Amino acid sequence: MLITERHARQSALPQLTDFKSGNEMAALAANHINFHVMGYYPITPSTEIAEYLDEMFAQGEHQIRMIAADGEHGGAGICYGASTGGGRVFNATSANGFLYALEQFPVQSGTRYPMVMDLVTRSVSGPLDIRGDHSDLYFSLNTGWIVLLARDPQAVYDMNVVAVRLGEHPNVRLPVIVAYDGFFTSHQKRRVSYFPDRQPVQGFLGPFQAQRSTLDPRNPITVGPYMNDPDLINNKYQQKLAMDAALRVLPQVFEQYATLSGRSYPVVDAYRIEDAEAVLVLLNSAAETAKDVADELRKQGKKVGVLSPNVLRPFPADAIREALKHVGAVLIAERADSYGGQGNALTHEVKSALKDDPDNKTLCLSRIYGLGGKDFLYEDAEALFRLALAAASSGKVHIPFDYHGVTPGNSRNGALSPVLPPFTREEMRPGLVSVEKDAASGKVQVRTPPLWKLAVRSRVFAPGHGACPGCGIFPALDQLFKGMEGDIVVLYQTGCAMVVTTGYPFSAHRVTYIHNLFQNGSATLSGLVEMFLERKARGELPEGEDITFVMITGDGGMDIGMGPTIGAALRNHNMVIVEYDNQGYMNTGSQLSYSTPLGHMTSTSHVGQAQGGKTFHHKDTLQIMAACHIPYVFSSVEGYADDLVKKGAKAQWYAKNQGLAFGKVLISCPLNWRAPDESGTDVVQAAVDCNFFPLYEVEEGVTTITYDPATVGRKIPVTQWLGAMGKTRHLTLPEYREPLERFAAEVERRWRRLKAMHDHPDL
Amino acid sequence: MHAWQGPPCPQILTDTANSVAKTHIKSRTQLPQTDNQGFFGIRLESIGGLGAHVAGQILAQAGVLRMGLNGANFSSYGSEKKGSPVKAYVRFCAAEQEVRTSSPVDRPHLVAVFHEGLVRTEPVLWGLLPEGAIIVNSLRSPSQVWDGLGRPAAKVGAVNALAIAVEESSRVNTVMLGAVARASGFIKPEAVKEVIQATLGERYPQLLASNLRAFDRGFQELALEDFSHAAAAVPQNYARHAPPFGYLDAPLGGAVMNPGNTALKDLSVSRNGFLPAFHRERCVDCALCDLVCPDFCFVWAVERKGDGVEAIRLKGIDYQFCKGCLKCIDACPTLALSTEREEEGYAERHSVPLFPHLQGFSQNGERHHH
Repeated sequence: MLITERHARQSALPQLTDFKSGNEMAALAANHINFHVMGYYPITPSTEIAEYLDEMFAQGEHQIRMIAADGEHGGAGICYGASTGGGRVFNATSANGFLYALEQFPVQSGTRYPMVMDLVTRSVSGPLDIRGDHSDLYFSLNTGWIVLLARDPQAVYDMNVVAVRLGEHPNVRLPVIVAYDGFFTSHQKRRVSYFPDRQPVQGFLGPFQAQRSTLDPRNPITVGPYMNDPDLINNKYQQKLAMDAALRVLPQVFEQYATLSGRSYPVVDAYRIEDAEAVLVLLNSAAETAKDVADELRKQGKKVGVLSPNVLRPFPADAIREALKHVGAVLIAERADSYGGQGNALTHEVKSALKDDPDNKTLCLSRIYGLGGKDFLYEDAEALFRLALAAASSGKVHIPFDYHGVTPGNSRNGALSPVLPPFTREEMRPGLVSVEKDAASGKVQVRTPPLWKLAVRSRVFAPGHGACPGCGIFPALDQLFKGMEGDIVVLYQTGCAMVVTTGYPFSAHRVTYIHNLFQNGSATLSGLVEMFLERKARGELPEGEDITFVMITGDGGMDIGMGPTIGAALRNHNMVIVEYDNQGYMNTGSQLSYSTPLGHMTSTSHVGQAQGGKTFHHKDTLQIMAACHIPYVFSSVEGYADDLVKKGAKAQWYAKNQGLAFGKVLISCPLNWRAPDESGTDVVQAAVDCNFFPLYEVEEGVTTITYDPATVGRKIPVTQWLGAMGKTRHLTLPEYREPLERFAAEVERRWRRLKAMHDHPDL
Repeated sequence: MHAWQGPPCPQILTDTANSVAKTHIKSRTQLPQTDNQGFFGIRLESIGGLGAHVAGQILAQAGVLRMGLNGANFSSYGSEKKGSPVKAYVRFCAAEQEVRTSSPVDRPHLVAVFHEGLVRTEPVLWGLLPEGAIIVNSLRSPSQVWDGLGRPAAKVGAVNALAIAVEESSRVNTVMLGAVARASGFIKPEAVKEVIQATLGERYPQLLASNLRAFDRGFQELALEDFSHAAAAVPQNYARHAPPFGYLDAPLGGAVMNPGNTALKDLSVSRNGFLPAFHRERCVDCALCDLVCPDFCFVWAVERKGDGVEAIRLKGIDYQFCKGCLKCIDACPTLALSTEREEEGYAERHSVPLFPHLQGFSQNGERHHH
C-alpha cells in the first residue's frame, strides 16, 4: 500500500524494546549493517553517530573502519573511493558540512556507486545556526541521490536498513541519503524496537554484490572517464531510469522489511486523510506534531489530516496526487525557503503533482516555518490548519506564500544602545610595546614593559563571554593581543572562541570582528587585507589608517582550513594567523583533530579493548607553515606569558612589514582534557617542559628555540604531563607501555630535529 | 486513526548501558496529573556540568522501560558549555499513547532547580502549572523558597543537594533525582535506582554505592510542603519570549552593532559553590592573576605614586563575570587570593564593578525597575 500511516504487523523475530535517540539508532543500524568503511567529519548535530560507532569499535562490537577526514569534502572523497572497492560505505553529516562536500555527491551518483549517508538536518550558515531546519536537505534534491526521510528515532534505524537494500538493488544502484531532523529527532530519546543482534539485518541485506569493483586487477575498469556530449545525457538518462526503478522497488523493500521487522512504512504517510477537507504537508518531526493537533481538531469536528512523504527523491508524485484528490485545501509547510521562489521545492512539486490531474480542484498554500530550529508547537500546527480550513471553506487563497512565526521586533530594546564605547586610536596604541629591526644584527627586537603594566591596557575582549570555567583560550589570546599596538581587525573561524563570544545579539569583541566557516577564514582575511591595501592606495581611507589583520582559529580549523591557509601563506598576505590548539574539536564535543597526539582519548578515539585512543601522531602544523617560507612562525603557551606577549609583538611586526605570520598556541581545555578547572596553566607548562610542545620561532627561515626546559632544570618526562589529564592517564598504565614509548620516541625525535635546526641557521 | 503501538511480537526489555534483558514491564503506573495531550511534564533547570542531562535520561528510562509508561527526553542544545544554563525535559504518558511532539516542556508539572543561582538569572518558573511542584537545591526551608519564588505552585520542596553530594562523594544530579522521584508522587525509587545501577554499574562500579546513597538521601531529605491550603498559586507566564530583535529592527545580515555588550551578562551562576576571595592587604599588584584569568574580572586602578611614577592597584573582583575556575589562586604568589565556599550575598557585597555605568542594567540592556 502506498498511502497509509506507518503501522505494526506481526513479525516472526523477537526484538528489544529500548529508549534511544535518533543518533543512537543511526549508529546501531550502522553497527548491524556492519559497513566496511565510514569516512566522516564532525559536525553538529550528526557527530554523535561517529562518536557512538567509535565507542562501539573500541569495544570490538563492529568492524567498520572509521576514518576521521580532514573535512567533509575529504570525508566524501574517502567514501567515494571506498565505495568503488566493492563494499558497504557510510557517512553522516549536516548543514555546511553537507554543502562543503556537495560537489562530490553527483560524482558518487553519476558513477553509480551505492552507499548510505545520514543527513541530520540543520540550518545552513550564515549567520551560523546549529539547530535543525531543512535548508541543507533541499540542496540534496539535485544530487542524484535517493532521499529517504526518517520522522523519529525508530524510523532512523529502519530507514538505514532499507536504504542499503534499496540503493544496492540491481535496477537501482544509487547512493541513498537518510534525512532526519537535527536535535528534534537526532537528540531526542523515544521508545524504540530493534533486533537483538545483527543477524536479521545481515540476512535481510545479504552480502554486498559488487558489479564493478576497483579491487579486481584481473578485470580492470576505468571509473569516471572524460565524457562530453553526446554521451553525458545518456548517462543522466540512466540515472533517471534508476530513480524510476527506485520508486517501484521502494514499496517492495518496505514490504520485505515489514515482514522482517513488523514495521510497515508507506511511501507517503497519510494521517486521517480519507475525508479531510484541509491537509498539512510537512516533512519529518513536524508532521508528527501536526498529527496530535489533527486529533484535537477532529474532536471539534474539523476534517483535517496530515500528509508527509517518507521519500523525497524519487518524488512520489502519483501517491501524493492520489492522496489529495478530494482535499479542499492543502498547506505545504517547509522548513527552508528558496528565496524568491514563492515556496520551496516541496510546494512546487506538490502543486505540479496536482496539476497533472485535470480534475483536481485542491487549493494550495505555502508557508515557511521553524527556520534555525525554531520549535514547531501545537499552536503553530493549529494556526496552519486554520489557514488551510479557511481556504477550503471560502474557496479562496488570499496569501499563497508567506512565513509563519516571524517577530517584528521592538526597537525600544536596550540591546540597541551602545554599551561600551569604541576604543580611540590612542587607547589602541598605548606605546607600551615596541618592535625594531636592529640595523647591526638584522634581528627584530621586541621591548616589553613589566607584565603588570599591561594589565590596564585596553583589551580587545569585553568580559561576559560564555566559555567554560578555566578555558585557556582567553588568557592566551589576551596575552597575544597585549603584544600588539594599534588598530586590529579580527577574523575568527568557527570554533569555541567564536561561539562563546558572539551568541546573538551579544558580542564580546570590542574591535571589529568577522566570522567565516572554519575551512575558509584564511582566504576571507586575505581578501580583506587586499581590499584594505587597495582602498588605501585609492585614498579612500583616512590618512594614517593602519590596521593589523589577525585570524584566530582552533586546531580543527587548521585541519579543514589547511589548504586555504597554505594558500594565504604562499601568497604571503600581510596578516597574522594564530591557532589555539586544544588538541581536538572541543566545540562539537571533543572529537579527535589531527593535532590530537597518539593515544589521547577523545569522543572519536575511545579507549577500550580494541582501541587505545588516537591511532596516529599529532600534526606538526608549524613545520608545514614554515615550509611555506613565510617570514615568521612561532609557538607559545599561556603559561609563559612573557614569551607569548613578545611573539605577539613580533608577529604583528612581520605581518606589517614582511607578510604572513603564523603561530600555534597550546591552550588548555579542562573540560575535555579531564583536568581540574584551575589546572590549565600548569598543564600547558608541563606540555612545554616535557618537550612535547617546544617554544620556538622561525624568523625568515632561521629557527630559534626560545625556551629550553633542560637548560633551566625544568625538563620533565612526558608521563608527568600525560598523568595530569584524565584523557591520557591510561597511557601511564603498564598495558599502554608500547604506545607510550612510541609517543615519547616521537616527541624526542621531533625535539632533536628542532635542536638541530636551532643549532644550524641553514636547517 | 491507526496509532502505532510497536510490533505485536515477542518483546524484550533492555537497558542501554548493560543490555541485561528483562522479561516484561513490572507494573503499569498511573500518572497523577496530565495535560490536554496526556503528558506529565518535568523540566530540570541546571548549568552544564551538574549532570541534569544524564538525570533526565535516567528518569525517562526508568519510566519508559521499568514503570510501564511511554515518554520522551531531551536537553536544550545550543552552544552550551560547562557552567552555562541548560534544561532537560522529560515527558511521560500512558504506555499505549504515542509521543509525537518534539518541543520543549513549556507547561511542566514538576520543575527541579539544580543550582539555586538560576532562580535569579533564568526564568525557572516559566509555565509551571499552579497545581504542580517545584523543588530547589537550597539550604533554605520550603516556605522560604515558596515566598522567595513568589508563591508559584501548590507544592514546593527544598533539599541541600550540594552538601549531600559532597558528603556522599556523588554528584548533585543523583541527589536531585531522589528528590524529583519523591516530589513527582509516582516515580518509583526502585526503578530509578535500577537505571542508575545499569548506567553506572558497568563503567564505574566504584561510584555505584555512593550514588545510590545520595539518591536515597535526596528522596528522604527533600523537605516538601503543600501550600495549596495557604494561598492559591500565582499563575506563571508560559508565552514564549519574543527575541530582542525582529525583522523590523534587526540590523541586516545579523551584525551586532554594539559589540562588547556581553559586559551586560551576569555569569555568576556558572560558579559551583566556590569563588576566589581577595585580601587587599596581602596584594603586591603583580597582576599575575590577571594574566591567567579567562574571564577578565579583575578591576584595576592606575595610580601615581609620590615620586610621580605610575603604578597599578588591584581594586577587587567583579564577581558578575567570575565563573569560579580558581586559576587566579594558583597564580597568586602572595596568598592575596583564597578559595572560599560561596556564601549567599558574599559576591554582591564584595564585588567591585568593572563598568560602573552599566550597573542597574539587565542582560538585554534594559534598566532595572526597582
